[in-house]
Amino acid sequence: MAAVMRASVFVSWVLFSSYFIASAMAGVSFSTLPRTLVLTSAISSQDKSASNVARAGEDDLVVTWRLNESLAGGEVDSKYKSVIVKLCFAPVSQVERGWRKTNDDLKKDKTCQFKITEQPYSSNSNNTVTWTVEKDVPGAVYFVRAYALDVSGSQLAYGQTTNKNKTTNLFVVEPISGRHVSLDIAAGVFSAFSVVSLFGFFAVEKLRAKK
Amino acid sequence: MADQSRSSVGGSVDIEASPGNSMHGVTGREATFGFSVEGTESAAAGGEKFKVAVDSEHKATQFKLFSFANPHMRTFHLSWMSFCTCFVSTFAAAPLLPVIRDNLDLTKRDIGNAGIASVSGSIFSRLAMGAVCDLLGPRYGCAFLIMLSAPTVFSMSLISSAGGFIVVRFLIGFSLATFVSCQYWMSSMFSTNIVGLANGTAAGWGNMGGGATQLLMPLVFELIHSKIGSPAFIAWRIAFFIPGTLHILMGLLVLTLGQDLPDGNFRALQKSGEKVKDQFSKVFWYGICNYRTWIFALLYGYTMGVELTTDNVIAEYFFDKFNLTLHTAGIIAATFGLANIGARPLGGFLSDKSAAMFGMRGRLWLLWILQTGGGLFCIWLGKAGSLPLSIVAMIAFSICAQAACGATFGIIPFISRRSLGVISGLTGAGGNLGAGLTQLLFFTSSAYSTGTGITLMGVMIVACTMPVWLVHFPQWGGMIFPPSKATTATEEEYYGSEWSEAEKQKGLHQGSIKFAHNSRSERGSAKRSHSIVSAPTPPSASPLPHA
Repeated sequence: MAAVMRASVFVSWVLFSSYFIASAMAGVSFSTLPRTLVLTSAISSQDKSASNVARAGEDDLVVTWRLNESLAGGEVDSKYKSVIVKLCFAPVSQVERGWRKTNDDLKKDKTCQFKITEQPYSSNSNNTVTWTVEKDVPGAVYFVRAYALDVSGSQLAYGQTTNKNKTTNLFVVEPISGRHVSLDIAAGVFSAFSVVSLFGFFAVEKLRAKK
Repeated sequence: MADQSRSSVGGSVDIEASPGNSMHGVTGREATFGFSVEGTESAAAGGEKFKVAVDSEHKATQFKLFSFANPHMRTFHLSWMSFCTCFVSTFAAAPLLPVIRDNLDLTKRDIGNAGIASVSGSIFSRLAMGAVCDLLGPRYGCAFLIMLSAPTVFSMSLISSAGGFIVVRFLIGFSLATFVSCQYWMSSMFSTNIVGLANGTAAGWGNMGGGATQLLMPLVFELIHSKIGSPAFIAWRIAFFIPGTLHILMGLLVLTLGQDLPDGNFRALQKSGEKVKDQFSKVFWYGICNYRTWIFALLYGYTMGVELTTDNVIAEYFFDKFNLTLHTAGIIAATFGLANIGARPLGGFLSDKSAAMFGMRGRLWLLWILQTGGGLFCIWLGKAGSLPLSIVAMIAFSICAQAACGATFGIIPFISRRSLGVISGLTGAGGNLGAGLTQLLFFTSSAYSTGTGITLMGVMIVACTMPVWLVHFPQWGGMIFPPSKATTATEEEYYGSEWSEAEKQKGLHQGSIKFAHNSRSERGSAKRSHSIVSAPTPPSASPLPHA
């Protein structure tokens, strides 16, 4: 009986402490971040089909960022150590897809899943990166967001290419299909082998039985 | 628990009636094939040829797990491995969902529908498989299914939309009917005293495939994606060639190494002529009119059904909730299915032990405790906020649910003698229906998260296990009430009631009566005799044949 008591005390302790540990590890809240960075993005494509469509694996995204001019010269950016630029899902691509859900707690937020670049912060206005849209990027509607990070990697401020409701200036990524002619052929060959060897075996056995 | 009657020369042989036989028994009328690896006519006096002890039908009476001796143990291994392969391919998409959902732009509804489709196909294919095994024998039944479903696995690499994904998962799900050929084949190779153990082990080890695939597929994917460098959206398609190739391999092994019966060829089994083939309509009628059939179909839906559901959702759940990598989520998810290696046989073993002490009442109580415990752990799993606690809850849930599966099939053989095949089939179908229904209710809509869905599933398990309280056998009692004191409350009366007077006149019910004698072991250790009031007599003092 004493052992059971001790065991249940231990279990309750584990449960309580895991709750407190979890809450102590909550991340920065997005709604508290000031929007101090100004971000623009453009699609650079060899073959100009539509201006807001980028093809995965082929087209480039050109992103530029700078500190908002009205804040220049002040102390706003004194703690900014680095900038991380990410590709983020627009609300229309988050519908019925809980794995892309926006959460105000940035440790749990899944809006921005693809890293474009991470660079040290510099206060001059010529920060640019050209990023080829990777082949792993799914087909969806996106915008670009950048976070200013401090020394420990916590977010201090942000900037994004769209408005607060994430409805303007969105672009589409056209993904790779994942299919390939060699895969199609291999699938056909293997399948045919399976069916033919089965019926072949069957026929041979039947014939031998008749002899 | 099993029918203890050994056939003697000229005695009536209840081949169809052995417990654990899921659909039809071997009737001796299957087609004859001339090709056999073991050579043509095996010696009729072939008892000396076998590496395990056999009975007069040459069915094994010993279960040597680590032997591959032809034909009995070899059949066991071919059987469970082919069933396992089909589980691997049916649930192969589950651990790769984080990649597939991005490639095909799936919504939660699409994923849910695909999960439902993956378990629905086999409801129908299992029903047809019994007939296929009757026609072609279990070896060809198994080989046909596994090799004809190989193209469906390969066609996973060709799809590019949600609709295609759902259709292909549906088609691959047909292959789960290898359960029927597996059980059928075991029943023709293993004698009644161990056929329950053999069938239970084969089924449990086959179910492990649902766990093994969660380990295998992410590993293969990582290999192709990271080491070879293919983009993710191509790598997962290539990964599906592994289960597909396994299908072909197992099919060829079954064809070349397997044989239908212990003697190699199909020969019309010499029967004394006492066993007349039963009428399907009668068998079906008595099966569906027994209320216990429906209770156990529901119960199985919430033990096996939730196991299948969890195989489909758990890897994605861990991946999303704890931000794990694909292969870490896969390893955790795998432990759920792999627990089958011991948990399901454990359930059967505990059921037999509780029957030895408390009879059928012990079996029912054990089942209720295990299954309700599983439901409670499932509720905890959905609510657990940290990774270690989630894993503990999941493992506890898996052991309870899988042991409950084993315990269910400890009771099924006693529900009916005449309609055992139909009841086993309906129970199995109930399992898959439960899986489909649970995924539809809790894992398809975006109204709540997967974690909430898991908790609700746990609540439903507890609720749907309650009906076992209603099960009552007049001769053995139920969970609440002891056996009836009426003089008609005997095993013979219970099993004899499935035959009409006309049939009894013809003596068709003799097999059931024989089984009824042997099932007195379900009265437990305090034997109650209806004719003599006496102190409890130990089973060994009974004049009736016992193990």
